[in-house]
Amino acid sequence: MGLREFVVRRLVQLVFTFWAFFTLLFVLFRLVPGDPTSMFLLDGMTPEQREQRIAELGLDQPLHVQYVNYIEQLLTGDFGQSFIYREPVIDIIVVRFMNTIVLMGTALFFAYLIGVTFGALMGWWRGSRFERGGIIVTLVARSSPEFWVGIVLLSVFVFWLGWFPSSGMRTTGGELGGGFIQRYGSIDFLRHLFLPALTGAIVYLATPTLLMRSTMLDVLKADFVEIKKAEGLPEMTVLYKHAARNSVLPLVTVMAIATGAAMGGSVVIETVFNWPGMGREMVRAVNTNDYPIAMAAFFLMGSVVILMNFVADLAYVYLDPRVEYE
Amino acid sequence: MSSGNHSRRKFIRAAGAAGAAGFAVSVAGCADETDEGTTPDGADELGEPVESIQFLGPTAGVNAFRNELASVTAENWEEIGFDVDLNEMEFGAQVDQAVVQQDFDASLLGWGGTPERIDPHTFIYDMHHSDNTGQGGRNTPGYSNPEYDDLADLQVTQPDENERQETVYEAQEIIAREQPRTYIANEGGVHPYAGSRVENIDPTLGEGLNSFWNMISVTPTDGDGTVTMGYPSEIISLNPMQDLATPDRQFVRLLYDQLFRIGPDGLPQPWLATGEPVIEDDGMTYTVEIRDDVTFHDGEDLTIDDVEFTYELYADSPTYSGLVEVIDEIETSGNEITFRLGEPFAPFTANVLGQVYVFPEHIWGDVDPEDLADFEDPNWIGSGPFQFDDWERQSELQLSAFDDHFNPPNTDRFIRIPGADVSQLIGDLEAGQIDFVGAVPQPATLSRIEEDDDLDSAPFEDIGYVKIAYNLRREPFDDVAIRRALSYCVPKEEYVEFIRDGMGTVTDSTISEHNEFWHNPDVEQFRLDLDAARQELADAGYGWDDDGRLHYGADQ
Repeated sequence: MGLREFVVRRLVQLVFTFWAFFTLLFVLFRLVPGDPTSMFLLDGMTPEQREQRIAELGLDQPLHVQYVNYIEQLLTGDFGQSFIYREPVIDIIVVRFMNTIVLMGTALFFAYLIGVTFGALMGWWRGSRFERGGIIVTLVARSSPEFWVGIVLLSVFVFWLGWFPSSGMRTTGGELGGGFIQRYGSIDFLRHLFLPALTGAIVYLATPTLLMRSTMLDVLKADFVEIKKAEGLPEMTVLYKHAARNSVLPLVTVMAIATGAAMGGSVVIETVFNWPGMGREMVRAVNTNDYPIAMAAFFLMGSVVILMNFVADLAYVYLDPRVEYE
Repeated sequence: MSSGNHSRRKFIRAAGAAGAAGFAVSVAGCADETDEGTTPDGADELGEPVESIQFLGPTAGVNAFRNELASVTAENWEEIGFDVDLNEMEFGAQVDQAVVQQDFDASLLGWGGTPERIDPHTFIYDMHHSDNTGQGGRNTPGYSNPEYDDLADLQVTQPDENERQETVYEAQEIIAREQPRTYIANEGGVHPYAGSRVENIDPTLGEGLNSFWNMISVTPTDGDGTVTMGYPSEIISLNPMQDLATPDRQFVRLLYDQLFRIGPDGLPQPWLATGEPVIEDDGMTYTVEIRDDVTFHDGEDLTIDDVEFTYELYADSPTYSGLVEVIDEIETSGNEITFRLGEPFAPFTANVLGQVYVFPEHIWGDVDPEDLADFEDPNWIGSGPFQFDDWERQSELQLSAFDDHFNPPNTDRFIRIPGADVSQLIGDLEAGQIDFVGAVPQPATLSRIEEDDDLDSAPFEDIGYVKIAYNLRREPFDDVAIRRALSYCVPKEEYVEFIRDGMGTVTDSTISEHNEFWHNPDVEQFRLDLDAARQELADAGYGWDDDGRLHYGADQ
């Protein structure tokens, strides 16, 4: 089978996956007890106001009618309006999604950069004190709860040293809004980004490190490494060009999945550092029965997972000529 | 943490047992010693076992204090022979199941004490009149008593406060006796602030540092002219014509003025009005004169036409027409506006004149009534003491002082940030990023605040309460004896003292003791007393089987 046929078949599968995913989400969210008026009822909403709001939102319609309406709306590329905020879902989601991408992207980048390097060296220097120490450090990082890592970093860098702000994405009182560069390009933003990103990096570090180390160990047993060494190539060349590159393959899959999951944001990191990202927004949307936001948020996150898997499949073929399209 | 809870719970149960023992001694002293133990025998011939109680309460994540209260109460109910099925729920789910679907036997929820509820109407009429028992209505128990309804109807028509007070007192006595709910405690609490950076803190009844009066009073002392507050949720909307959640209302009322505002003492005081309303025709006509020195934030004068326009706009609004439906006719003359009511409505000043925000006609005049809730004024022009600067929902709201206001705030700028939760905001407070927090911290966090020299906590009392509603539509909760017995099992004093570390006060009435004028101090009291609970049940003809399970009497 050729590349084109493979891609087409995978795309058809993708469409089906998306449809199933959507339908499941739709049903699941409507099974959650409560409706978008619940949070207002004790704050002064009267039964008449409640009924009127329910009708406005179309929630008095039979479920299948709501479903068809929703799918129609989606096909026109419209995620609808938030039931709670009464604003287009896309306006609310995009901001938080970007916040999450910047935070989690930074965390993952450093986690994988450091993890892969560190793991490769640990495999290379098998049995050394470096490896033993490295494993302990990695396991400690892996078994530390996210909130604990965050709180330790806060205690040290904020409350003790006073080097970084305790929360948020920028110093309050400044000009709001602004474009991408203004938002994410300032020194102030980087200062706010540092601790949450470091927390994420520490938490995500263990997987690539350990995986890289173990695949390195397998690869190092292979004859070609011995041959390369025998050829008299410098140690670092063998390590980097031959051993490490051949070990990186399983990481591609893991990285693809981790990226997808990370785009959902980390509720814990977002809570500890008051980062306005996707994780907390999803929790809020589910708790307040804000279905359109919840659907869109899960859709985005799910899409990234689905797409990243697709990308991983394609990348495999590119990285390893032995893999064929079947 | 969990072991701490455990020992605390043991302690509360021990306290209950001690109370019971004391009661037994006093009974033994004055009655014939016929019973073998301290517990009454109850009916000799037993019928069916009493149905098990489907008890809804909050999860520990929603409210740790109330979650604990629910478990202890459930244990006490089992102790006197009930079978209890405690269901811990998320907030929205519980409101839906208990308040909307009315599918519950007992439900432990709070009822907020916002300023417009200081007038007794909400607590007396909305929450207990039989007109309000429908789905989503505020009479969740489905309580229906014609004698009570008459009083609840009567107090609305009494413009004389002393007469009305008498009626309200009597109404409180009836519901205290019949216990459609167990009224447990006015929770109150403390709001933390940085005493080193702000002064003139003014926590008020029911709202603490979130009150209007605090926000115009708080003064920055660290030279930046800015007060920054944190609150553990985002503002949903600043549009006064939407359904407003509590955090929204806290800011809408800074931007917009009303004719009257509920003062720090809980009574409506003239605001845009120049003085008390002139009430005529047995409370059917209210005339108010407005100030002539008021402008909107864009510089336009606020005139009597804006006021009239506003009340007409409310009448057309799908969301808020109910608020002003009592008004039949509006007339203006000079700087005066006269409201003729369709029927007498005693809480008119507090609950209508004090609730309707005055809008600039030149901005809202062209909005279709159907679109009011979705209207976005980019600058939220009102006439309030603060004016809108900028807002990004997930990061911050920026306001500045409106210096032309007749009662300008003490700070030049006011910033509000939404936090992830209370502990995170306390971290911001410690780090100096914010100046106060409008939420009550957990006891563990409180000690951290006490140890920090820069931080203080502002205590406040509440008129809202935590309560357990019983579903009177179902057996056996339609029997007043069952409800009274259940109420005797709720550890009210222990809840305030041990679970809430002393924050709040016990209540037995639907009107808080902190609402001094309306509170009836002499209503019947229910305190933790399991023997009194058993006695209620035995007197009403219930009995217990050998396993201690409660049964109907054979002849019930």
